[in-house]
Amino acid sequence: MTYSIPHCLRIILNLIFFGFFLISARAQDNLRYEGPLTIGNYTGDATYGYVVSNGDTILNGPFRLKRANLDALLQKQDYSFDFSGRYVNDYPTGFWDFKFGEFKSNNESQVIDYQYRVAVSGIQEEASGNLVKGKPDGTWTYTVNRIEDSEVSQTLFKSSILFDKGVPQQSFRIENDSLTLAGRFLRNGLAHDEWSLFESTGLGAAESWFFDDGLLHKIQYELDGTLTTIPIYQDRPNRTQIVNLDTRYIKVLTIWQSLDQTSSTSIGGSMQYLLSENATYYKKIDDILSELGKSSFLPEFKVKVPYYPLTDNEERTLDSITQQFEKAKGASDSFLSDTQLNILKLSDEEAAYLYAVTDSISKNFLNPIARILEYREQEVLRHLPLGALIESLWPDGKPTTNIRVTITLDSITKEKNFEASNAKGFQFSKNNVASLGELMDYASICMDSIQQVLNKRLTNEKRQQELVAIEERLIAQQQQLKMFVDTANVSSNAERKALNQLKSLADAELTEYASLEGLEPKLKDARDLLDCFVVYGHLARSVAILPANWKTIQEKYKDRIWNPFMATLMDEEVKKRITSAYRKVLVPYFLAKISLGLECDEVEPLNALMQDTYQRMLELRLENTAKLERKLRRTTDPETVLELFGLTSTLKTKE
Amino acid sequence: MKGRYKNTAILVAFLLMYCTQGFTQETNEEVLPPFSEFKDPKTRTWFNTYGNIRISKRLFWVAQTHFRFEETEETPFIGQIGQVYNRHAIGYIYNKKINAALGGVMRINFNTDESSTDRNVVPEFRIWHQYQFAMPVYSAMIYHRIRIEHRWTQGFEENSEYIFRNRWRYMFRAKIPLNNHKLEPKTLYVSPEAELIMQSGRAVVGSVMEDLRLTTTLGYILTPRLTVAGGLMYSQGQTLENAGVFKQNLTLRFHLYFSPDFRRVRNKLPAIHLND
Repeated sequence: MTYSIPHCLRIILNLIFFGFFLISARAQDNLRYEGPLTIGNYTGDATYGYVVSNGDTILNGPFRLKRANLDALLQKQDYSFDFSGRYVNDYPTGFWDFKFGEFKSNNESQVIDYQYRVAVSGIQEEASGNLVKGKPDGTWTYTVNRIEDSEVSQTLFKSSILFDKGVPQQSFRIENDSLTLAGRFLRNGLAHDEWSLFESTGLGAAESWFFDDGLLHKIQYELDGTLTTIPIYQDRPNRTQIVNLDTRYIKVLTIWQSLDQTSSTSIGGSMQYLLSENATYYKKIDDILSELGKSSFLPEFKVKVPYYPLTDNEERTLDSITQQFEKAKGASDSFLSDTQLNILKLSDEEAAYLYAVTDSISKNFLNPIARILEYREQEVLRHLPLGALIESLWPDGKPTTNIRVTITLDSITKEKNFEASNAKGFQFSKNNVASLGELMDYASICMDSIQQVLNKRLTNEKRQQELVAIEERLIAQQQQLKMFVDTANVSSNAERKALNQLKSLADAELTEYASLEGLEPKLKDARDLLDCFVVYGHLARSVAILPANWKTIQEKYKDRIWNPFMATLMDEEVKKRITSAYRKVLVPYFLAKISLGLECDEVEPLNALMQDTYQRMLELRLENTAKLERKLRRTTDPETVLELFGLTSTLKTKE
Repeated sequence: MKGRYKNTAILVAFLLMYCTQGFTQETNEEVLPPFSEFKDPKTRTWFNTYGNIRISKRLFWVAQTHFRFEETEETPFIGQIGQVYNRHAIGYIYNKKINAALGGVMRINFNTDESSTDRNVVPEFRIWHQYQFAMPVYSAMIYHRIRIEHRWTQGFEENSEYIFRNRWRYMFRAKIPLNNHKLEPKTLYVSPEAELIMQSGRAVVGSVMEDLRLTTTLGYILTPRLTVAGGLMYSQGQTLENAGVFKQNLTLRFHLYFSPDFRRVRNKLPAIHLND
């Protein structure tokens, strides 16, 4: 067999090519993953390529994540999605397509071309376009369609924006089912020329915003056939700042507009709505892309706004205003909502007067300041002319140091003035931050002085009421104790004596209390007494239950014994030393303690000891007590008996 | 009328039999009197202790010691010691109402015949078994006791032979609580009892009714394990020597009943109730 030269050449070329292929494959070392993957809220089946570099996984190559569950669809509804595109060195690059579906089926199926087909209804979202290094580039469209029986029935939202490396360019168009917004951008992404908002039902533009190099200068809108023009930023401000056209920008516009007393129409609502709807959809894509690799997928529609920077001094003043405001606002709110003060002000002139002053400070000082602080918090303050803003917050002029209030008491109306002692030093008529600071200082001082007076009043009032309530409870407790003692069914004189002693103890303490003078000592004593009376009640109960306890113990300490002479079963008392120690030593000891007179703080320990003793008696019945019984034979001392029983007496021995 | 004649006829026949026997056996010694002769009642005092000591779930040890005194010419009831009893047995509790016992007795008999020159003390031995049945009747209890004793006795004379007799005893007794609705501690009760003691044996000729005891005692239950009682007993019976001669006794009886239980608590607890 002979080989022709071209044939050999071909074999050699093939070998060389194959070698190159091997080398290049090894160099790239691209790996593929196929399996489940979760990105944020999306869990599905993924296939993607990646390389491992220095232990990091870097996405590289085609990427796809999808999910569709037929069972879920047939049973209730299915959330499907399908993301596909390509990563290059961890950046999504090239054509990307995102689909989100939320479908229900009508459970009717057809067989067409050897396939089962199920018609679905629901919402389908689709976004597609090119990405360069994770940023949109070229035209991106985002469409939300309503699907009925597997066909598009209505477009709910559609946006089409041309990007250049993430910066919106030339013209864009965003529409939903009722509005369409179309506009233009400069090369640097700034809004330019006319942005028009059309209503799908009307003819012509419903609202047009005119930008000049990003700065809005007028808004035209048509209402009931008449065209209105609102001038905005007519005088070109000294300094401007480029910001995103977002909620904050609209807010600045709204406040700006409110500063101009001639116009009261709210603007930008619909436009803002469409833009934010668009931003929400873009955010959805951004979330997915940034979860996996590097990307920034948010359309940034840039505009210019006036910029009024605050000096460091002004910032510091505003910081201190914020602190003072929190304190003063807290105090005024708590007074205005204090139920006691609200009742008191109906009958007490001073209370009514201070309440009215607080109310006035809250309305005329604190609320306007709250607005400023709120704007600052929202970062819109620096885009607003502060002087005009302050002026607009007090349309009737700033309050003076003399706070004039009108109070009506018993249908007599009086006018009164309030002024802080050092009011003369305050001057806050100017519309600047420093003046605002003084105004806040003054409000703080006023609130502090009101607080001092009112707190004392309210505390006193509160205490008086508390005392009345405690006294009522004291009397009720004493009555209860009396009734309990009188009706208690005790078996021995000692028990009766102890109960009576408790009763007279309570009576004596109440008499002693009645002779006290002064709110403070009375309140303290009443509180203590209340606790005492509660424990007296407990102790009385423990005494009254002694006969029943003894009965239970007797029942417990019995064995059924068969008497051979009588041929009958008889109850035999067992562990008699223990029962008799309880009955003849401990119980009389407890009762004697009570009858001798107790201090309030001795009552609870005694009560606890009595209850513990009873419990211990029930336990001892079951325990092996041979040793204990032997020891009991030698003692009649209650303390020793308690010790033998394993109970610790915390009672003080009275001499 | 016919029935009565018949009974009388049988009675007469019995009497005749006795008479002939008596005559044939002891022709030379004793002669049946024409009418029953009743000796004067002898007065006695008994101090009896009764112990029932529980040793297991079903067994108990019967330990009784009796001190029996009788009159002397100078002192009625308690003039001299008559007998000292030692009665022991192992009892078996069948159930709460039925029990039985088997054991032995050693009795010391003292010669109480003041004129006698014979031995002062002789022992007497018995084997005994008894069966007791209790029945509750309202608040009271009644008891039937059958006791059978095999008895070896000897006289006080020097070298006298033991004679063997069987005793057949039936006792009917009631215990009626007086101050309570049942027999339990701190209860006073009255106990009437009647016991018939029959005997048989080669040596018993005619004197089959050894003793008929009629007693009434008053008892007090101190605790389930301790009871005291005291009463008076009248008894009569044929003398062994002459079936026509009846001895009579009036006895003061004082009883102490105790029933300790030395079992460990853990053995005691589950079995207190026996079968119920």
